[in-house]
Amino acid sequence: MGPPDWTLICGAAAGDPAAFQQLVERHRSMVYRVAYQFAGNHQDAEDIAQEVFIKVYKSLHSFRHDAQLSSWLYRIVMNACIDHKRRRVLPGGAAWGPDEDDRMQNIPEEAPGPERRAYAGQLGEVLASQVRRLPAGQRVVFVMRHYEGMKLSEIAGALGLAEGTVKRQLHAAVHRLRQSLTDANVTAGERV
Amino acid sequence: MTAQCVHSASGVIEQFVYGELGAPERLELERHVRDCASCRAAVEDLSTLRTALAARPVIDAPPDGDWSGFMTRLRAATEREAGGLDLAGTRGVGVPRRASYVGRPAVARHWARSGVMATAAVLALAATGVTLALWSRVPLTSPGAATARSVAGPPVDEAPADGFEALGEEHLQRSKLVVLGLAAKDPARATSADWMYERALASSLLSDTRMYRMAAEERGLASMAEVMRDLEVVLLQTSFTDARDPAALAQIQRLIQKRDLVGKMDVVGITGL
Repeated sequence: MGPPDWTLICGAAAGDPAAFQQLVERHRSMVYRVAYQFAGNHQDAEDIAQEVFIKVYKSLHSFRHDAQLSSWLYRIVMNACIDHKRRRVLPGGAAWGPDEDDRMQNIPEEAPGPERRAYAGQLGEVLASQVRRLPAGQRVVFVMRHYEGMKLSEIAGALGLAEGTVKRQLHAAVHRLRQSLTDANVTAGERV
Repeated sequence: MTAQCVHSASGVIEQFVYGELGAPERLELERHVRDCASCRAAVEDLSTLRTALAARPVIDAPPDGDWSGFMTRLRAATEREAGGLDLAGTRGVGVPRRASYVGRPAVARHWARSGVMATAAVLALAATGVTLALWSRVPLTSPGAATARSVAGPPVDEAPADGFEALGEEHLQRSKLVVLGLAAKDPARATSADWMYERALASSLLSDTRMYRMAAEERGLASMAEVMRDLEVVLLQTSFTDARDPAALAQIQRLIQKRDLVGKMDVVGITGL
């Protein structure tokens, strides 16, 4: 235990470096976990986590005390993941929006399918690689829903999207991943 | 996969598997899934996805769990950002450079929106920045004296004062006013106006409290440092909390009680600063 988060935020906002360091140390594992699940490698995960905490640092004064730190942090993490992906793939690309959502749902999978020889022991690995091939929006929604257990409404609130949009993103992500199961010739008996 | 029915195409299966459907919808879908091969396959696939991915190792730290590089990089980045916080305390003083910290447009906009108390907090922060920027070279005598010196220029070669005896009494008395005032109120009946005075006073005392705390730590006065640290936390919470929140006063009172701040400040008063 230690001081509550918002005490640390107040301290950090007032210029206490120890408070900010404690805040980082307390939440860095969650941030890194989400970033790694999204990016799939340490280098990008660290870049995203860095962006998150720099953003936190710059936004200390805008944190509302009636808000949950975890929700605030998740929102920053999700946006950092999407921004990171956008910078990597679409420098100067269009802003995130419903139109892009619809496009994403209809974009055929361009990457090659998973290896046909996937079997139960490798299924998780194959699926993880497929998660990393999802468009950024679908990926972040899937990661937050599947790994972090956030509800659709929470994801929608954090991303500033309509719940229906998030629902479509999740459905599109699951649809692609289900397709990868089929491509992998995984039968019910072989599944883990 | 089999041909999709309207349920599995609508995304309701994901909500079902993730437990986000209400009881009536869930029961209805359970009945439907028993008879619908498409939806049954969707449920099985999603369950398989969850199981397979859940078996993957959780990576929540850099290789070998070594955060040192990450923290070093973050420290450098925050230092580039408007003067930054000194995460490792390597600057000794450990406070942001005031001018750039307060001067950031976003911060300035925030403070401009936040009203009188936030303005008071900025002033306190500014005073802290002015005072503490030279703290490592300024022997502590009194808040006023220290501030006056730092504005006039760094007193490099002055001998340290004997301690806290000559100062702090006024600060201590005013701090007691805040703590006792807060502790004595009935949180069930008090309105925000009833502890407005304590909030204003708490804001004005913050910077000096932090200075005393740092001076005590620097001089190895552990008990004094602890009292000042506890006081600083209470003052911070009192200053920054939303007084309209009916639970805020009770929360501050719990903090005071948990840290036994009333008793500690009495002891400090007896032994003197």
